[in-house]
Amino acid sequence: MSETSNLNLAVVGGGPGGYAAAFLAADLGMSVTLIDPELNPGGVCLYRGCIPSKALLHVAKLLEEAHQAKDWGIEFSAPKIDLKRLRSFKENVVKKLTGGLGVLSKQRKVRYVQGRAAFENSNTLSVTKTDGAQESLTFDRIIIATGSRPAVVSTLKLDTPRMMDSTGALNLEDVPGTLLVVGGGYIGLELGSVYAALGTRVTVVEMLPGLLPGADRDLVLPLHKRLEKMFEAILLNTTVASVKDEGNGIRATLKAQDGNSQEKVFDRVLVSVGRKPNSEIPGLDKTRVQVGQRGFIQVNKQLQTDDPSIYAIGDVVGEPMLAHKASHEGRVAVEAIAGHKVAFEPNAIPAVVFTDPEVAWCGLTETQAQKENREVKVAKFPWAASGRAITLDRPEGMTKLLIDPQTERVLGVGIVGVGAGEMIAEGVLAIEMAALASDVALSIHPHPTLSETVMESAEVFYGTSTHIYRPKRG
Amino acid sequence: MIEFKLPELGENIEQGDLVRLMVEPGAAVSAGQSVMELETDKAVVEVPSSVSGTVQEICVKEGDKIKVGQVIFTVDGAEAKGSGVPSQAAAPAPAPAPREKPAAPASKEVAAATSQAAASSAPSSTPGASEFKLPELGENISQGDLVRLMIAPGARVSEGQPIMELETDKAVVEVPSSVSGVVKELKVKEGEKIKVGQVIFTLEGGAAAAQPARPRSAPVEHVSGQHGARLAFQAAIRAEGKTEEQALPPDQPQQTVPSFSMPAQLGKVAGTEHRQPVPAAPHVRRLAREVGVDIYDVKGTGPGGRISEDAVKAHAKALLSAAATAAATPRAGHFAQPQLPDFAKWGKIERVSMRGVRRKTAEHLAEAWNTIPHVTQHDRADITELEQLRARFAPKAEEAGGKMTVTAIALKVCAAALKVFPQFNASIDIEKEEIVYKQYINIGVAADTDRGLLVPVIRDVEKKNIVELAVELSQLSKKAREKKLSPADMEGGTFTITNLGGIGGVGFTPIVNFPEVAILGLSRSRMEPEWLNGKFEPRLILPLSLSYDHRLIDGADAARFLRWISEAFEQPFLLSVQG
Repeated sequence: MSETSNLNLAVVGGGPGGYAAAFLAADLGMSVTLIDPELNPGGVCLYRGCIPSKALLHVAKLLEEAHQAKDWGIEFSAPKIDLKRLRSFKENVVKKLTGGLGVLSKQRKVRYVQGRAAFENSNTLSVTKTDGAQESLTFDRIIIATGSRPAVVSTLKLDTPRMMDSTGALNLEDVPGTLLVVGGGYIGLELGSVYAALGTRVTVVEMLPGLLPGADRDLVLPLHKRLEKMFEAILLNTTVASVKDEGNGIRATLKAQDGNSQEKVFDRVLVSVGRKPNSEIPGLDKTRVQVGQRGFIQVNKQLQTDDPSIYAIGDVVGEPMLAHKASHEGRVAVEAIAGHKVAFEPNAIPAVVFTDPEVAWCGLTETQAQKENREVKVAKFPWAASGRAITLDRPEGMTKLLIDPQTERVLGVGIVGVGAGEMIAEGVLAIEMAALASDVALSIHPHPTLSETVMESAEVFYGTSTHIYRPKRG
Repeated sequence: MIEFKLPELGENIEQGDLVRLMVEPGAAVSAGQSVMELETDKAVVEVPSSVSGTVQEICVKEGDKIKVGQVIFTVDGAEAKGSGVPSQAAAPAPAPAPREKPAAPASKEVAAATSQAAASSAPSSTPGASEFKLPELGENISQGDLVRLMIAPGARVSEGQPIMELETDKAVVEVPSSVSGVVKELKVKEGEKIKVGQVIFTLEGGAAAAQPARPRSAPVEHVSGQHGARLAFQAAIRAEGKTEEQALPPDQPQQTVPSFSMPAQLGKVAGTEHRQPVPAAPHVRRLAREVGVDIYDVKGTGPGGRISEDAVKAHAKALLSAAATAAATPRAGHFAQPQLPDFAKWGKIERVSMRGVRRKTAEHLAEAWNTIPHVTQHDRADITELEQLRARFAPKAEEAGGKMTVTAIALKVCAAALKVFPQFNASIDIEKEEIVYKQYINIGVAADTDRGLLVPVIRDVEKKNIVELAVELSQLSKKAREKKLSPADMEGGTFTITNLGGIGGVGFTPIVNFPEVAILGLSRSRMEPEWLNGKFEPRLILPLSLSYDHRLIDGADAARFLRWISEAFEQPFLLSVQG
């Protein structure tokens, strides 16, 4: 024990994976150095991702509800948007959280080095600090947690601030009159929603036949319907063939699969076609770390690379590129380094799209079950039968469970509706604990809440849901 | 009633001798409290209880050999945790054979099906086993002589507990029980020849004889079931290795236009195997990993096949007893020797069991001797000057709590030499045809204790100065004498020093501490006449003996290495220049 706890560990990258790893390592008694170019830990998630986008989405939702309040007998005048104050709200959120992480690392005596690291060999990093100083540091173990960055498409490269990636869009320099969002994944839809709520006319272009590729269609449908009302247009089976800077806007040629193409000028364009792992770390070739074809660093279940003294976690080792996956991997990697027999082996990693309504799922999806030809029973509970959903005037939601017909075990959970992101945690717990549908159905859920829909969908499986009459089939 | 069983003690430690019991019936124990001292192959360890309550019955006594998983004592409390034999009647699904664990009924069938094809007494598949038959002992072993029975009618046996010693063609093995209960009748006597499949004893309450013969359904599957379990066990111990890396899904070819897509099933990501999620809670999966069990091999008996903590433990125990039986056979090779004469014919003798350190030393040295082509190179170092330095700096070491000994200095000298000659700090991986160069220098120092030879290891020797080394060496020697060395203290060596100078002698041929490739022996230094500057001068000479693995190291290199060491002893200045 004392052997491992004396280890000298470096964590390269201070995102949610990196700082979780660094903090746990410090808690286990290791001597830890955390290297990141930012002033404080946080990474993309806190500085340019999850956190600032959620602050803005919160505001977007308020705007939408104020608008909808007319139906409930409350009418507000048109909102005045003080962009400067909105930005500073968002920036204060980021500052508060990253500053908090800075304090937490100091309390844990983690040595935080603001700079960028390059490998000299498997155990030595050359760190170029932000102040220009250079330092060569040697460690027993190194964890790579360098994360990912927005993917770039070569045909969509223009040197103008009108052309944005997610980072640019979060800077919120102005509220453009029109915005083209390239890519109907979660980043494009979340940021598109923010701009639409602020008054921008948003057009979303998606290459595939549906929004949120990979998610079950029945979960996407209610979102799609609502976004159709919010957005100027949602163009599926469509790609952006070319873009041209015309000074006062960007002219984009949108090409549909059926051959039709149209040209339109947009004030701004947001390219959100996915993210690429940051595996091009200088000097990585001086180690035995192997990088796969898609740029992901190869690791085993202990998150150890092909170089025994180097581990890698988070976006840089593979999908899903999610902060909570990275944090969990970070903790597993540190425990493995400490000599514990552990592995990264979750049964469910939740995914949440923070649009309005939110879409969330975990474990097995219907899409996946079909692909694997796996027999599952799907029990759905439409929110139109939920008292709570009706009080919120948001009956479009739906909760569903995927259940193994033999064992009655809950294999997957999918939710669309307001607050789905908070609710999915129950699904994760059910799957990880190998709960049966009856376990969920027999657990008392508080009334009146949306969480009851989870319990009631389990009751649907047995054909005994209180609030819907749907006899069990077969 | 709750049973406390010997928990896992560490890698490759399957059993130990009970040195001291710290509890007695009626005593209150709480989880975490030390309840006994156990001497394993490597060290004496205190074992803490994992249960709380009042001790009811103690199932072992001091001096016993205790295996991992064996019941130590019972405490009152909640109801007993089953016998480890899952009730098949309660299992919801008709369990398919391949995943069946080698519970008692299955192993009985194996025994009967393989070597006793004509066995008349067909096994019953009632969940509570009623009798115990001699299980398979290993390849080509069909019988053995019963040397010693360790149970008597009325005694309680539990699964995994050794119940007899059997002498086969190759070795004397301990046979663990695969059933639990109270012994009713013993069907064998000491001295008898016993065949695989023969009934050893019956259990109280079992309806052994009355069971009508039932047609055996596909006995072959049961055989593969047990083999499978053994393989799974082996796989589990090597679990972290290459095989899993190979299980990585290959990278998908990149699409021409990047498109964002959430992976459809978020439990399956790069780096994880493509297996269906197992019905076990995260802490149960983690426990399985800790005890080296593949959770997918464990049969869940909870709702929906859910696997409980107890199921994992029971499975681990079953694997261990199977592995113990399997392992007993190959180990015999080292002890294989011609029949001994009857020594008692010529006078009185005493037989003492070769236990703990002595047995381990015998096995380890026989293995090293069998594997390594040894050569020993001798040299002499003039340490007249060094001795003066040593005497001068001795108080400094003493101040720090250590003793400035020749061994402490030798540690520093060897570390420097190993840096210059890395092949002496290496190992041979014959299977992969590779030489493993270690980029750390951990030197073991052979220690003579009243329990035998122990080799505590000092880590990262090259990073420490002589005073630090002297202090650490003193601490480790103290630990060794006090039987406080943990297995971890004796692992990871890259080179070994053995100093017999304190006793005497002019030289010896140490055996290389496999898988290391060299060992340095120091003998007693003495004043000798040396021809210096045209006359004999009295000089203090330290005799050095270097044994090495001739597969990796050539004689000339060994001579150069030992010369370098001698010169470093003669001119300590060299250390700071070259070391």
